[in-house]
Amino acid sequence: MEWLLLAYRMPREPSTPRITVWRKLARLGVAKLGDGLVALPADARSQERLEWIADEVTDAAGEATLWKGRLTSAAAERVLVRRMAAVVGAEYRALITAAAEARQRGPVKRQTVARLRRELRRISQRDYFPPPERDQARKAVDALMSEMVLR
Amino acid sequence: MDRAACAWLIRRFADADAVFVFVDDPDEVPADATPFDMRGVELSHHEGDCTFETALRWFGLDDPVLWDVARIVHEADLDDERFDAPEAPGLDVLCRGLSMVLDDPGMLAVTGPLFDGLYEYRRRALLLGREPS
Repeated sequence: MEWLLLAYRMPREPSTPRITVWRKLARLGVAKLGDGLVALPADARSQERLEWIADEVTDAAGEATLWKGRLTSAAAERVLVRRMAAVVGAEYRALITAAAEARQRGPVKRQTVARLRRELRRISQRDYFPPPERDQARKAVDALMSEMVLR
Repeated sequence: MDRAACAWLIRRFADADAVFVFVDDPDEVPADATPFDMRGVELSHHEGDCTFETALRWFGLDDPVLWDVARIVHEADLDDERFDAPEAPGLDVLCRGLSMVLDDPGMLAVTGPLFDGLYEYRRRALLLGREPS
């Protein structure tokens, strides 16, 4: 499969633009391959988002180039895919735990469900290789929802 | 989405006779055209703003309704939670879906009335101080 690779370098100071850029990359669910090198599976939307981030890097006196590439080894690709799936898997598990805790605490609040829903949507947006935890997380949030309606 | 919103903004508030040219690469922009919503051009994303917000500044438009629409366009395009815009995910899906079934000029023809409606809705909401019925 084809990947997008963003190679970037930013001045150490000021640190705010560097942190902003990293937060945006993290929200996209990039795989960090090294210092200033991140990857995403290639598609038009991800490409546009990474292009805007590349521009932001350049605006902040940094350097950025966006590449398209393929891994030369299928085994290495499987490792990368598993790593990305494991990261969102952990995020889904945290969500499942949060849902279970909210349930235990009793009367489930509307805001709690809304927050978990939002979080679920966020995670799904960067879930390029869905792990089994995805369905469990959806079920956990749905179950919380029905609990709220019953009360 | 940001691009379609900008085209609407330009036609409706800056230049009713504007003609749009669609290119795949910044190098293909004709000499007499003003590129927008493209990498490395002035009328584009800047300092965390989407092109629509940049365009409002560029044309000196201070209509509060347009800035309210900008909040929605920003979240639909960037989804960075800078603003609270519950309308954004729906609008983003509509625009992305339309772009799957329409070509570029068709997209502008359909999204024009969509943004007219959004503008009118937000105008009434701001006047009333609540969601219009």
